[in-house]
Amino acid sequence: MITFSNVSLIYPHSTKTVLEDLSFQIEEGEMVLIMGETGSGKSSLLRLINGLVPHHTGGILAGDIEVDGISTRSVKPGALAHLVGIVGQNPIEGFVTDIVEEELAFSMEALNVAPDVMRKRVEEVLDLLSLNSLRNRSIATLSGGEQQRVAIGAALVMQPKVLVLDEPTSALDPIAAEEVLSILHRLVHDLSVTVILAEHRLERVIQFVDRIIYIEGNGETSIGSADEILKNSDLVPPIITLARALNLSEIGTSVREVRRHTDAIRNRDYREFIEPKKSNSPAILIDRISHSYGDKKALNNVSATFHHGEIVAIMGRNGAGKSTLLHSIVGLHSPASGNVSVNGQDPTRLTGAVRRRSIGYVPQEPSDLLFASSVHDECDQADSDNQLAEGSTAALLHRLVPAISLHAHPNDLSEGQRLALVLSIVLAANPEVLVLDEPTRGLDYRAKAIFGAALKEYASHFNRPVLLATHDVELVAEISDRVLFLAEGDIVADGTTLDVLLSSPAFAPQVAKVMAPKPWLTVSDVVEALGENS
Amino acid sequence: MKKSLHPLTLWVSAILLAIGVVALDNALIALAIVGAVATLVYIRRDGSPWHRSFSLSLRIGATILAIRTLVGILIGVPIPGTVLFRIPLLDLPSWMPGIRVGGAVTLERLTSSLHEGVIIATMIALFGAATSLTSPHKLLRVTPSFIYEIGVTLVIATSLFPQLATSARRIRTAQKLRGMENARLRSIAIPLLEESLSRSLQLAAAMDARGYGISRRRSRYRPQPWLMRDNTIVLFALALSLVMVTR
Repeated sequence: MITFSNVSLIYPHSTKTVLEDLSFQIEEGEMVLIMGETGSGKSSLLRLINGLVPHHTGGILAGDIEVDGISTRSVKPGALAHLVGIVGQNPIEGFVTDIVEEELAFSMEALNVAPDVMRKRVEEVLDLLSLNSLRNRSIATLSGGEQQRVAIGAALVMQPKVLVLDEPTSALDPIAAEEVLSILHRLVHDLSVTVILAEHRLERVIQFVDRIIYIEGNGETSIGSADEILKNSDLVPPIITLARALNLSEIGTSVREVRRHTDAIRNRDYREFIEPKKSNSPAILIDRISHSYGDKKALNNVSATFHHGEIVAIMGRNGAGKSTLLHSIVGLHSPASGNVSVNGQDPTRLTGAVRRRSIGYVPQEPSDLLFASSVHDECDQADSDNQLAEGSTAALLHRLVPAISLHAHPNDLSEGQRLALVLSIVLAANPEVLVLDEPTRGLDYRAKAIFGAALKEYASHFNRPVLLATHDVELVAEISDRVLFLAEGDIVADGTTLDVLLSSPAFAPQVAKVMAPKPWLTVSDVVEALGENS
Repeated sequence: MKKSLHPLTLWVSAILLAIGVVALDNALIALAIVGAVATLVYIRRDGSPWHRSFSLSLRIGATILAIRTLVGILIGVPIPGTVLFRIPLLDLPSWMPGIRVGGAVTLERLTSSLHEGVIIATMIALFGAATSLTSPHKLLRVTPSFIYEIGVTLVIATSLFPQLATSARRIRTAQKLRGMENARLRSIAIPLLEESLSRSLQLAAAMDARGYGISRRRSRYRPQPWLMRDNTIVLFALALSLVMVTR
């Protein structure tokens, strides 16, 4: 279906080739995952398939790409619209109309499909993706998972033979992600659609894919079945790390497989691990706050206390009120009713240097805080803002990501490097409280590990609270002490990470699913419990 | 949901009214029209992202009015009449004849500057109203695809304006939370421009990838009919404009 022959790609004004001498073939009805570190060229590879690269971005392409016998070199991306459907990383930015139904019809209108055919196909897609109840809704009011489904639907109405998706689940909560993936799985199996996707959260997708294309940092590319690639790769989901740590003879990609291999281990005795008792001097007090946007209630009489030295994860489905709660805590708005106190202060009244020292906040779009033209200037600015010796922020940054170039433009950094930069700037002020909104979107495992370690160190070393809103259960399992679970503006669960994550099947991390009913969340939990025993 | 007008109705009306306002050249009537348009925008508000562009256009209009008036008072040919106050005359070198900076400020001079400013601000407000009441996406769908490039440009231009307003607010709050109270223009403008540019490119890429402009003919999934209401509004604007032009 798709043939890459000796493809190399280089962007204008760049000295580094993005892809080098890449050759592979993808058959009809295959599901292929493209993995690699952030900034390794996954998106470029995806866009090569329908010719957006280089037709739309510029750049020099060597070699040839054929999709169903058509060379992408010779035609514009639009001419492949009936053959290749593409769903971008951020579907909302690619929507061209306002209403779900119109969005689905857009491509067909552009290609002058007869009205009765259009109607029929729109109905089919609405049924296939269970979008029928949303057909007249305005796209802007949909949740993240719904938008993703509309974007997939808009590609499917053309009845494409190939579907290309860039990080389809990165912004979704675990349940919405599962929904999207099961739809993809069905498309592959029922309709023989060829699906190619890029994704960082391997734990969500590897059980579905047939083959993996791994773009390594040094430009090398390897292609093979999931088992083959993951056996030797550095980027692996927890389930593989577990298999390696336990020295299993075979690795498995799904919970079911690994459970079979670990039967004996689960039946062994182990020593109970006792959580060290944390301090409980309260740092942030939330007293019965409510907030609504228009008619929609976002928070409903929420009360909570966060303690010093505690890492608290705030979880919940898209639109459950996580961001609103964080905004109230950092003082972005004062809640309609109720009180918030951060170390005795009202967060809405903080300004300037006092604010920097009291609350460190990393917003959902970390780059909102960046404006200088180089990493060096950003660090200098943070130093002078906080009256630190020159180079302090840069030193902090180098501890997080040693390889970063101080002369680079913040825009050219990879996702992980940019987050590290923003985190260093925020931490340079030595804030009393650290609050982060969805920090790990688009991070690969390595960047996530560094980031998690930094948060842990901050919390334990300075004995300060860290709050983060996130969908990333694996991250939560690794770093957080406590989980607060929100649904429709109410706290529905509040307890230790172990209790909350184990009690919800959808939000349980992979290791916990494999090891159930044993109360282990992460690979290190397992190793520790078993190691001390044997 | 309020029933929507044809996407071209308000744009055509805005153009007609603008022609009328320029031809009539009467500041009071121009202000009355702005008032009427503002009421219309208020009544038909729907909370869409582009809806905010009207208030933004009013603000831009007010800024232009202020600048125009200031420049009118300071520089230019004096118009004789009732002297309001005097500001010191600046001595300019002899090679700049005919230009005066400062001097007597007459009532006539002030009103004529204000007048021109109001007319310009009215034009901006009229188009601001049309943008804020018409979904840019709907506008795209009625654009014939033989003007493909214009269509893409139109969508990007009209979606950029409201999106700038949203992003600017988000970035400003983020920076306030970094403790930067009086954020410099540069610190907002740079992330803002970067974001807008990359969004526009993404939108254009998405349209390209979905076959926009490939076929010279387009079919309509659910055609937006040109109804009696649209006729009424355009005819009303046409009549108003004709009255203003022929006066």
